[in-house]
Amino acid sequence: MIQVRNLTKVFNVPKRGVVRAVDHVSFEVRAGEIFGLLGPNGAGKTTTLRILATVLQPTEGTAVLGGYDVVQQPEQVRRQIGFLSGDMGLYHRLTPREILTFFGKLNGFRGAELKQRLSDVLARLGIENIADVKVDKLSTGQRQRVAVARTLVQDPPILILDEPASGLDVPTARVIEEYILEARNAGKCIILSTHVMEEAEYLCDRIAVIHEGRITATGTMAELRAATGKERLREIFLCLLGLESLERKTSRAI
Amino acid sequence: MLDSVRDHRTLLSMVVVPLIALPVLSLFVVKMVTVVERRAGAKAQTIAISGAERLPGLLNALAGAGLKFVPREDLEAAIESKEFAAGVEPVELPDGRKEVRIYADLTRQDSEMAAQRIRAALDQFKETNARIRLREMGVPDEVLTPFTVERVNVAQKKMAGFMWGSVLGYVVVFLMSSGGMYAAIDLTAGEKERRTLEILLSAPAGRSEIILAKILATTTAVFVTAFLTLASLAVSFVYIGRQVAQPMLKALSEGVPLDIGTLGLILLALLPTAVMIASIMVAVALFAKSYKEAVSYLTPVMIAAIFPLIAGLLPGTQLTPALALIPLFNVCQLMKEIFLGDYSRLSLVITLVSNTVYAAAAYYFAVRVFKSESVLFRT
Repeated sequence: MIQVRNLTKVFNVPKRGVVRAVDHVSFEVRAGEIFGLLGPNGAGKTTTLRILATVLQPTEGTAVLGGYDVVQQPEQVRRQIGFLSGDMGLYHRLTPREILTFFGKLNGFRGAELKQRLSDVLARLGIENIADVKVDKLSTGQRQRVAVARTLVQDPPILILDEPASGLDVPTARVIEEYILEARNAGKCIILSTHVMEEAEYLCDRIAVIHEGRITATGTMAELRAATGKERLREIFLCLLGLESLERKTSRAI
Repeated sequence: MLDSVRDHRTLLSMVVVPLIALPVLSLFVVKMVTVVERRAGAKAQTIAISGAERLPGLLNALAGAGLKFVPREDLEAAIESKEFAAGVEPVELPDGRKEVRIYADLTRQDSEMAAQRIRAALDQFKETNARIRLREMGVPDEVLTPFTVERVNVAQKKMAGFMWGSVLGYVVVFLMSSGGMYAAIDLTAGEKERRTLEILLSAPAGRSEIILAKILATTTAVFVTAFLTLASLAVSFVYIGRQVAQPMLKALSEGVPLDIGTLGLILLALLPTAVMIASIMVAVALFAKSYKEAVSYLTPVMIAAIFPLIAGLLPGTQLTPALALIPLFNVCQLMKEIFLGDYSRLSLVITLVSNTVYAAAAYYFAVRVFKSESVLFRT
């Protein structure tokens, strides 16, 4: 459902000059699969996801989601996706119900259908009791649930999740993770970014390691283990980034 | 829109200022003016006098005008020290003629009022003296007044409209801009600061639709401010005019052009200006990464907007077809003429059409800015 070919994004940043945030990235994600983009800060994960969500336009390459091209048919792409940004992106002066109603209407839901949809999503994320509390009064965990609810209100076939469990306590993170697994089992195509190894290992069917805008390796955990000879994802990751020797030196020093 | 009106800054500038702050400020200013004038009037009753014996009858003339007088040698010092509002001194000129000097500090209201009262008393005294002398010479009094002069104001009923229109248009346009400013900032730089913009951009709505919605929301804020400003000023001036004895304020409260037709025409005239102001503010605020930065960008825009408003306050300014092309100035002048009930249809049409063109251009500019990634995601 997601086909990305040679995707590139170049920025002209004042004082830094030309920055290739995403450099000829290619991958595919199927329906009923969780694909993880794993990389350190500044690797290009968020930029890649923003391009897929049609927030940014690529400099080169193509990305096709649900059969629609992000450049040629952005509005059709947006109808296929639920996008969760790394910052939650919630309107603090509105309540969860108002936010979901707004995005539900943007996605074409009205009347009884919208009401039913809201009810289902609120129940699924366990946030009915805070549906009418303004967001600025909610805890981080509650806000993240609301943010996830917002990506689901239109029941999109494709989910684009930027660090979905970032900054959450373990119980809340587990709720989110369980939801993601449930969505995968329901046949949704899911791409998520993370720098948390445990989360990637637990959730992802396949992982792409991205560093300095380029994908260094893609595969299932078994394939990555075979390629690097390492067992744990953390070690696989460091090996692929060429930072394995640095870690050994640091451990010896400690 | 719902999110914006829950922002305290937007509510303050859009609703509180027009509905509460303005009338309270107007009432306060009027009360202050009344109190100051009353005090000045009381102080203007007592004056200093020197050399009264040089002009017989002077003291009676001054007393007849309700003035009290106290002898003083140095009148200038007495006035500079604020012991007295004004002073009067008859002197004999080298050629034998008599001159009455009025000493006043024209930077002080009480002094100016006292000087005017002295002047009026002396004019009356001069006329009385002249009549006495003519009678002694057997000449009838009518020689002094071959004809009388009277000013007839053909626009008596329009005075309220003239006073309203001279000031109100500029107040309304200025407050519209400030009322819409926080809404514009909240919908642009505010979204960047709150990190809600990305999510909005990934929703199934085109960029043009999103920016149109933001401009419409800002226009609503601008327009609501205009409407509330007009309404609250109308109510407060009528109330104030009935409470105070000031002739000018009385004139403001009588003949106030508050009919539906006048207000409807004014709101229609303001509509394209409201869209233009909203579009420009949204476009400029989009360049900012934060609320604070947006305020610093919009402040010079607001200051620049003051110039066409000030130009309209110059005396003798009229709305000609050519001047009807100048934005902001044109709508303020048009409002003045609508209040007067005397506007040119040609100027009305030119004003509406030109402002609509400017509004369209400003909207197009805002759309172009909103579609620019380098602006939306400025680092």
